[in-house]
Amino acid sequence: MKDTKARILLIGAALLTAAWPLSWAVGLIWNLEPTRGLHYLAMGFTFVLAVGAVYLWARHVARRQQQAQQFFEMLLRSEPAQLARLAAGTEPFPLLPSNPWFASAQEFSERFAQNCSKLQQAEQSRTALEVRMRRGTGRQEQIEAILAGLAEPVVAINAFDELILINPAAQSLFEADEKTAAGQPLAQVLHCERLVDLLIEARRRKALVRRCEIELIDDEGDSRWFTATCCSLAPSEGDRCVKSHNGHGTQNGHGKPAGAFAVLRDTSEAKAGQKRYAEFVSAVSHEMKSPLAGIKAYAELLADGDADDPKTREEFLAVIGTQADRLHRLIDNLLNIARIEAGMMNVSKNPISLHELLSATLDIVRPTAAAKRITLAAEFSPLYLAVLADRDLMMQVAINLLSNAIKYTPDGGRVTLRSKAAEGEVQFEVDDTGVGLGEEDRLKVFERFYRVQKDRHMASGTGLGLPLAKHIVEDVHGGRLTVQSTLGKGSVFTVSLPAAAQLV
Amino acid sequence: MSHSILLCDDDIAILRAAEFKLSRAGYEVRCANDGLEGWQEIERRRPELLITDFQMPRLDGFGLCRRVREHPPTAELPILMLTAKGFELLLARAVEDYGVLAVIAKPFSPRELLQTVQRIFGDESSYGSLPAMAAMAVETVRPSRPTP
Repeated sequence: MKDTKARILLIGAALLTAAWPLSWAVGLIWNLEPTRGLHYLAMGFTFVLAVGAVYLWARHVARRQQQAQQFFEMLLRSEPAQLARLAAGTEPFPLLPSNPWFASAQEFSERFAQNCSKLQQAEQSRTALEVRMRRGTGRQEQIEAILAGLAEPVVAINAFDELILINPAAQSLFEADEKTAAGQPLAQVLHCERLVDLLIEARRRKALVRRCEIELIDDEGDSRWFTATCCSLAPSEGDRCVKSHNGHGTQNGHGKPAGAFAVLRDTSEAKAGQKRYAEFVSAVSHEMKSPLAGIKAYAELLADGDADDPKTREEFLAVIGTQADRLHRLIDNLLNIARIEAGMMNVSKNPISLHELLSATLDIVRPTAAAKRITLAAEFSPLYLAVLADRDLMMQVAINLLSNAIKYTPDGGRVTLRSKAAEGEVQFEVDDTGVGLGEEDRLKVFERFYRVQKDRHMASGTGLGLPLAKHIVEDVHGGRLTVQSTLGKGSVFTVSLPAAAQLV
Repeated sequence: MSHSILLCDDDIAILRAAEFKLSRAGYEVRCANDGLEGWQEIERRRPELLITDFQMPRLDGFGLCRRVREHPPTAELPILMLTAKGFELLLARAVEDYGVLAVIAKPFSPRELLQTVQRIFGDESSYGSLPAMAAMAVETVRPSRPTP
């Protein structure tokens, strides 16, 4: 609009400016005398018009520049949404189409809008990546924490047989420090050839899982057994170019494992358990052969007719009977121990009166004590003591302890059965004036088949009475069985049990 | 003159059975309850044959054998070993290290024990008491038939 106005004014001014010489020319032609006043009027009018026209044109140009300036200011404020609308044409463009910069401004704003949206997308994906990375880091920290907390030693190597992971358990086993061990060649850190060979083999052969038994000497000089499971590590997505720790990079071909890891499981306990079991079986078979030897020998003597007179025959038959009983007791005790250990015992616990149980036990062992003229005394607590126990099993414990006391007390001695209440516990103890136990024997007396050598002549026994009692008290009832003793003076075996709720 | 034998075992039943069998066959048999008592008996009066158990209190079978071998007067004493424990391992060690003549596993047969003893003494023991000779005769003719 302004443009047109200015054009018109410009043309008018041009015409009027030209009018002066034109009028002079016309006057000349028609021989008219131009009036000086009219002359000056025309001149002045022309001059004003010219100035006006120039002014308008200048203003027009300035306005265009102003628009352009506004446009760039708008760009500086960088509002991508607005720019997008401009580009789409939904918002009025600050520049007029007549503006010579209009086309480039439009193109520029389009490009700018595209770039802004690209930037926005990049920003979004960066945020998403950051979130993922943080989650991944958190996950990695979790996994590292798990590895650190594992009791199993774990080691891992990269494609160059350098250590990339050695968890705290492995560090203490191989006496390695994490900082110094990382990146070291495997064989330098692990001084176990078998394990090193296994890891390298696992790395070379993809998806191979190998197990082997290895023996290592730990820092205390003890031998420990492990089962090592080795597996190859699959190459990750970004592992196209794997760099070794000393800086050389190589291409990691597709399909080649990027390393291997090994997890060690401590089987020392299991092995020790196997050894103990083998020893136990051997001990049991040995123990059983003694009574069997007696039975076979006397049976053969009888069969061969070596027993000439009835008295000898009776004697031999009696021995066979005794030995058979001994074997029977041995087997019973063994079965009980085995059943308790396997948790197969039919245990029915009820609240029972301790004193009732102990009195019944005393009645059972009284004849045996009387035969050796041993005084059986009962010192029970005045309180009513109740325990949650299996009556038969607890009675077995009491019988075992009392008969031991009677066996290992010389004739004329004294065996006392006491009961008392302690904090939250109920206790009963068997106190004898027998041969007592030396310190070494006292510690070993609850071991299976352990029988004090020097006292063997005092009584026959399977060596299982005390282990069985200990099992029943501790494993089945959650109590304690302890012994105190003075060699030559006597022993006190104490059973402590958790107290049941007081029954009125 | 009957040969003297020393029996050494902590199991009284076994001791009695072996003693019964051997003395009926005419041997002079002494008994000891453990290795230490056995050694004391050997020192007191040297036997011509030692039959000992392996597992005994105070001094076990190998300990007793060691003492016997290290004591010049008894270094050549014939030894028989009875045992309920790991037979094969014991056999090798006993024979190699202690010159034990034979190892008999428990449960053992008193009859076979007697035969082994007789083999060791080269059957000269049959020149003993008459009942022993008779028993011997019965043994060799009818090894497993009881005498009426």
